[in-house]
Amino acid sequence: MRTLAIRSVNLIIILFAVLFAISYVLSGPAAQLLQTQIQLEARAIVSQLAKSGHYTPTQIQDLYNSIVQQLYKAYGLDQPAYIRVFYIIYNMLVFNWGYSYFPDVYGVASGKVSDIIASALPGTVLLDTFGILLSAFIGIQIGLRSALRYGSRVDRAVMYYGAVSNGLPQWWVGILMLLVFSFYLSTIRSPIYFPSGGILSPKYYSMWFASPLSVFTDPGALADLLWHFALPLATVLIVNVGGWAYFARTVALNTAQEDFVTFAKMKGLPDGRITGRYILRPSAPAILTSILLGLPFIIFGGFIITEAVFRWWGLGYVYNLAIFAPTPDLPVIVALTYASTLLYIALVLVLEVLYIVLDPRIRSG
Amino acid sequence: MAARREFRILGMTPGEIWRGFVSTTTGKIALAFFSIMVAFSIYALVALPPNFGNLWNTPSYWQANPKYAPPAWINFFAGDAYAPQMAVRDFNFTAGSSGGVGYAVIQFAVDDSYAHPWRNLYVIVRSPAVYNASTVAYLTVERPDGKTVQLGPVSVNSQFVALGLSPQIISQVNSFYQSNFGVQNAVPAGSSAIPYLFYTARGGDLVPLKGTYRFTITMYSFSGNTVLNRKDLGVVLEGEVYGLMGTDFLGHDLWLGLLAGFPIDLAVGILTAAIVVTLAILIGIVAAFYGGLVDEVLTRITDFFILLPAFPLLIVFSVLFQWSIWDAIVFLAAVSWGGSARVIRAMVMQIKSSQFIESALAAGAGRGWILRNHILPMVMPYTLYLFVVNVPGGILTLSAINFFNLAGAELPTWGNILAYADEFGALTSGYWWWVVPPGLLITFVAVTFIFVAMGLEPVVNPRLRHA
Repeated sequence: MRTLAIRSVNLIIILFAVLFAISYVLSGPAAQLLQTQIQLEARAIVSQLAKSGHYTPTQIQDLYNSIVQQLYKAYGLDQPAYIRVFYIIYNMLVFNWGYSYFPDVYGVASGKVSDIIASALPGTVLLDTFGILLSAFIGIQIGLRSALRYGSRVDRAVMYYGAVSNGLPQWWVGILMLLVFSFYLSTIRSPIYFPSGGILSPKYYSMWFASPLSVFTDPGALADLLWHFALPLATVLIVNVGGWAYFARTVALNTAQEDFVTFAKMKGLPDGRITGRYILRPSAPAILTSILLGLPFIIFGGFIITEAVFRWWGLGYVYNLAIFAPTPDLPVIVALTYASTLLYIALVLVLEVLYIVLDPRIRSG
Repeated sequence: MAARREFRILGMTPGEIWRGFVSTTTGKIALAFFSIMVAFSIYALVALPPNFGNLWNTPSYWQANPKYAPPAWINFFAGDAYAPQMAVRDFNFTAGSSGGVGYAVIQFAVDDSYAHPWRNLYVIVRSPAVYNASTVAYLTVERPDGKTVQLGPVSVNSQFVALGLSPQIISQVNSFYQSNFGVQNAVPAGSSAIPYLFYTARGGDLVPLKGTYRFTITMYSFSGNTVLNRKDLGVVLEGEVYGLMGTDFLGHDLWLGLLAGFPIDLAVGILTAAIVVTLAILIGIVAAFYGGLVDEVLTRITDFFILLPAFPLLIVFSVLFQWSIWDAIVFLAAVSWGGSARVIRAMVMQIKSSQFIESALAAGAGRGWILRNHILPMVMPYTLYLFVVNVPGGILTLSAINFFNLAGAELPTWGNILAYADEFGALTSGYWWWVVPPGLLITFVAVTFIFVAMGLEPVVNPRLRHA
């Protein structure tokens, strides 16, 4: 328990360090964002007053200046950068993320960045989290099986597949899938073809935005979701299963060479018991460590772009839209970076806990 | 001190390592792939002009090429149906002047055996003196059916004259069909007239007419003493298919673009890995070797960088600061050394606690001596492995960033080619030649380094040697 507490405190300190660093670098651009927003607001108020017509231009200008001054003070813009960073962190942590420059691009009525990101989160959870877990499950099964048949033709095939899939850009595989199973299947008028992107057909959008869970209870909407989900999920599996299999195979092979495995064999224990207790169980922490170190690359490398390729309504696609909106939509981009950092660190925290639970050496140390 | 020692890495001479590497299947594949990759990179550096990056971004340089044309070798499978791009070089040329009017006659013949003939005909004028001199061109085509089409005059007032879309030529082609075959409005609105020079009418339908076509282009320059030279003039027939790899939305020759990607992507991967490994060695060795507070601080810093989400930050900064590809590489490397440093630190810790170090210390060896003679020789081979392992990550990440059109949109990288393919509807129109090769090449380079790493594994991990 003590180790766990120390690790968590450690991680939380690092979390704040990461947030601080990102906030510090972004504080310049973020301050500019805020300034333009404040100036717009002040101008709106002043022009309302000017319409009522009882002010001279100098009065209006003074009023505008004082409103801007007060708002600057309220938002902490008059403070030096290192203090402003805490304002930014605070705003980010309470989900006060401001408004998008181009709300039309996202089709989220309120235009609030937090609403846009909240609407995209379920899609990311569905594709990324489910996709990673499923591919890890399948991949580790394949890897361990092939390690037990070391040197066989199947084992070599798994090894090469794993190596090649580590070098495959996931988003490009997505593009190929779309080209073959969406474009070519529909050009040859095949009865079965897949959509060219999107998370759902447009008629179900409002349902998804209102409550993603309600989609799972409506059979028509669910079928539509699965139809859209098939190609992205297949892409994720093709690319990720190989890496997991390769990795699990290596770990299991290393463990299988340990003395205690040889000793267990000498004792004459049944094969199932040896693989289960003496090979798989000691391999678990190492496999988890790799998940730990591999996660940033997996989630934030491939998935952001894969979502964009499939126009899958998740964080990655919103990133893509925000970058290409008429001009870069900074409030959304900055908030997304924050959101993904938080998400990532939360994941790491969970994995650390799992790791401590699984590895007795760390628990007692 | 000691007599001449044999040079060994982890107990193996370089020769043994080489033989061990090449003896495995993976090693052989890795070696073959690596040689191919290096050969293409060298060829790209030699064959492409040094300012290729600029040329790539000069649309006028590519304007004589067809847009969205598949590669020419699809004719193998399509039974020679598509006319390939043709720059006419061996034309007969006569020129002269009479009465203050300069003239030039260009004559050439083409064999047409294609169901889909050429899309357009371009007259290229390389001298401003010619296209500023109120020059006009006439085109006469003698068809295999004995009929002759007379076209022109078209005014030659720019470097690049596209004949097919000129309204005058379209109406002349239409009237040719009208008077010879009784077909009205043969050329559909908005379409080039040139393909219809190669058609004939059969039962009211337009069908391709195969055979030899003789072209005569006659040019007149009216603003006195302009001399028309052969080297100033060129003729290009725009094909339905183009070159080895086809073209994209601007008519870029994709073969050249893909070729240019080799040195860039290789540089990206190698530079990233080199920075990552240098930082990792420095920090890993210092942390483990000095221990205590230094180790504690450096380990925390390492954890910090492992937790930084490199890819989203790379996106944000590329957008905010309009980074070039080189800025992006330096940033990516500067935030992704954490994992490697952790591995090196663990390794040095392990070596440090082994008995021969204790004996050396007992025998009075200094720390610097131990670092030089025991720790570095054992860590160095592993860093080569780490280097190779880090290359694919750099290439894949930068390609992904380029696919968002960030960090280096000015270079013809494979990620960029794919970005434009996605943007200009390669997926909804099925332009496979624009989509498949760049991704395959990214995979090829990444997999090459992964195979090299796999081949090196038995060398750096002696436990695997006899497994």
